[in-house]
Amino acid sequence: MKRVLLSTFGTVAGLIALLTFKSQGHPLTTTGALPSAGLPGSGSSSTPTTAPPAGGDTSGGSSSAPPPAASSSSAKAASRTVAGDAVETRYGVVQVQVTVSGNRIDNVSFLQLTAFDGRSQEINGAAAPILLQETLSAQSAHIDNVSGASYTTDGYLQSLQSALDKAGVR
Amino acid sequence: MASAISQGTAPLHLSPSRPLRLDPRVALGMIAAGALAVIALWWQDTFFVQGLGDWLTNAGRITGLLAGYAVVVLLALMARVPALERGVGTDRLARWHAMGGRYTVCLSVAHTLLIIWGYAVAAHTGVVHETGTLLTGYADVMMATVALGLLIAVGIASARAARRRLRYETWHFVHLYTYLAIALAFSHQFATGGDFVSNLKARVLWSVLYVVVAALLVWYRLLAPVRDLVRHDLRVAGVRRETAEMVSVYVSGRNLEAMRAESGQFFRWRFLTRGLWWAANPYSLSAAPRPDLLRITVKVAGDHSAALLNLQPGTRVIAEGPSGGFTAARRRRRRVLLIGGGVGITPIRALFETIPAGTSDITLLYRANRPEDLVLKHELDELAQHRRAHVHYLVGPIKRGANDHLSAQRLRALVPDIADRDVFLCGPEAMMSVTRQSLELAGVPTRHIHSESFVF
Repeated sequence: MKRVLLSTFGTVAGLIALLTFKSQGHPLTTTGALPSAGLPGSGSSSTPTTAPPAGGDTSGGSSSAPPPAASSSSAKAASRTVAGDAVETRYGVVQVQVTVSGNRIDNVSFLQLTAFDGRSQEINGAAAPILLQETLSAQSAHIDNVSGASYTTDGYLQSLQSALDKAGVR
Repeated sequence: MASAISQGTAPLHLSPSRPLRLDPRVALGMIAAGALAVIALWWQDTFFVQGLGDWLTNAGRITGLLAGYAVVVLLALMARVPALERGVGTDRLARWHAMGGRYTVCLSVAHTLLIIWGYAVAAHTGVVHETGTLLTGYADVMMATVALGLLIAVGIASARAARRRLRYETWHFVHLYTYLAIALAFSHQFATGGDFVSNLKARVLWSVLYVVVAALLVWYRLLAPVRDLVRHDLRVAGVRRETAEMVSVYVSGRNLEAMRAESGQFFRWRFLTRGLWWAANPYSLSAAPRPDLLRITVKVAGDHSAALLNLQPGTRVIAEGPSGGFTAARRRRRRVLLIGGGVGITPIRALFETIPAGTSDITLLYRANRPEDLVLKHELDELAQHRRAHVHYLVGPIKRGANDHLSAQRLRALVPDIADRDVFLCGPEAMMSVTRQSLELAGVPTRHIHSESFVF
C-alpha cells in the first residue's frame, strides 16, 4: 500500500514538475523573419511590419466584433493595414495582418505564428508561404487547406477573415 | 549413482571463467537511466506548454512514452538473461516484474485518459466526441485501444485476489496476451506519437530497443533450451523415492559444465513425455552439478510432480536455465550459516556441498516438523563429516516465541558467532519471514541474509 501511494505521488509530482518547467518559457516563433507576401506594384510589398496595426488592440485575440474600420468609405486608393484576431489552435497561435486598398488585398503577413513544439514549428514553416501566396491569388479567405497543416490553416483563415471584416473588404 | 553424488568430493569449479553478474543496484540504475532518456526525448521535443489542454496532452505523452518503455523493461526482466538471473536473482526479478507490471497498466490507463481529455479541451469538444475522433481519425489508435483492454484484463487477472482464484496455468496463459497487447500498441507510437513522427533517430533507437529485447526473449527462452537439449543430450538417468513425499530425478548429459550451473541455482524442467512436455517447472539442483549428471529433488504435490515418479530412464529433457542468484557468489564473510526447511533444503543441500569454506566455517540448520519429513539426511551427514561442518536437525512442531526452533535465542545458542556469519536461507514463506526476524534480532545485518523465495 505504501508503495502504491509512493509511486502514484512520485509520478504525479514528477509530471507536474516537468510541465511547470515547460510552461515557464515562451512559445516558439517560426525561425527567421515572419513570412509575408505582397502583390507586385503595390506600395507596401516588402516590410509590412513597419506599418503599425490599425485595427486597435490586437492582444486580446478573443474580442470578436470590433467596429468596422472607420475609414472604409474614404478614397479608394488609400491603403489600410489591419490586424486580424489572434487565434489559438491546438499547436500554437496564429495572427495575420493584411494591407488592402479598396477590395484588393495588396499584402498579407504574419504578426504571430507560434508553435508549442518542434514538429508544429516545422509544419508552420512549410505552410506559411503557401497560405500567403494562395491568399493573394484568391484575393479572399476562400483558399484550399494546406495538407498536413489543417490546424494552422484553420487558424490562419479565421484570423484572415477577421482582418478582412475589420477592413471592410467584401 | 546416488552414492556417487552424495560423496560430494572436492568442490568442483565448473565454469571456465566467472559468469557475469549484474548487481541489482546497477540493474536498477540502468532502468532509471533509460526512463530519464525517454523523458529527455519529450523534453527536447516540447518547447512550450500552455493552457489546460496542453498540460493534459503533454502529461499524456509522458505517461505514454514511459509505458512504452516500461513494457520493454518488464519483458527484459523475464528474458532469463543469465547476468540478471545470477546477479539480481530470479525471485527478485519476478517481484520487480509484478510491481512494474501493475505500474505499467496504470501508466497506460493514465496515458489514454489524459490524451482524450487533453485533445477534447484543445478542440473544445466533449470527451465522448473526442474519443470517437481519436478512434476513427488517428492511425492505429483503434489497435492500441484493443491493446489497452488486454493489458487491463491481464492486470485484473494478475491482481493478487484474482490470482488465488485462478489456476496458475490459466493465469499464465492469460498472461501471454500481453505479447499481443505490446504488438498491437507498437504502431500507434510511431503513427501518432509527436516525439516519433518527425524524429527518425528516435524511431530507430526505439525499434532497436524492442528488437533487442525480443531477440533476448526468443534466444534465452526458446532457442537456447533446445540448443542445450541437442548439445548436452539431456536424459533422465533414474528416479529415486526419497521419502513418502519427496522424489529425486537424475538427469544425465555431456559437457554440462558448459551450462555453467552453480549450486543453489535451478532450472525450469520440461520432461518430454506425452503428459509432461507442455509444462516447464522450476526445481532447484539438490546436488552440486557434475559435468555428466544433474539432480533435482521434488516434493510430490501436484499432478506434475506426481507424474515424475513414472519417468522412464532415457526420456529426453529440456532444461531452461540455469536461473537464480542464490549462489556462493552472494557471500561476503568467511563463515557461513545455511538454514533450510521443507523443499527449500534442496538448494541448501547443493550449497552445503560446494560453498568454499574452511574447517568448521559452515553450519547447517535443517528445520522439519516431523522426523519423516527429513530428506537426504544421510547425504548431509556424510558431507558434514567430509567437510568438517556442523549439522543440526531442528525437528518438531512450531512453537511460540523464544521456544521456537528458529527464535533468536535458539539460533544464538546453536550458533554463538551467528552475527559474524553470512546466512543462506531457503524454505516456505512463513518459515523464512520468522527466521529473517530472528536473524535480525540475533544481530545479523540484512545485507548478510541471503534468501530465495519459491513463490513466482
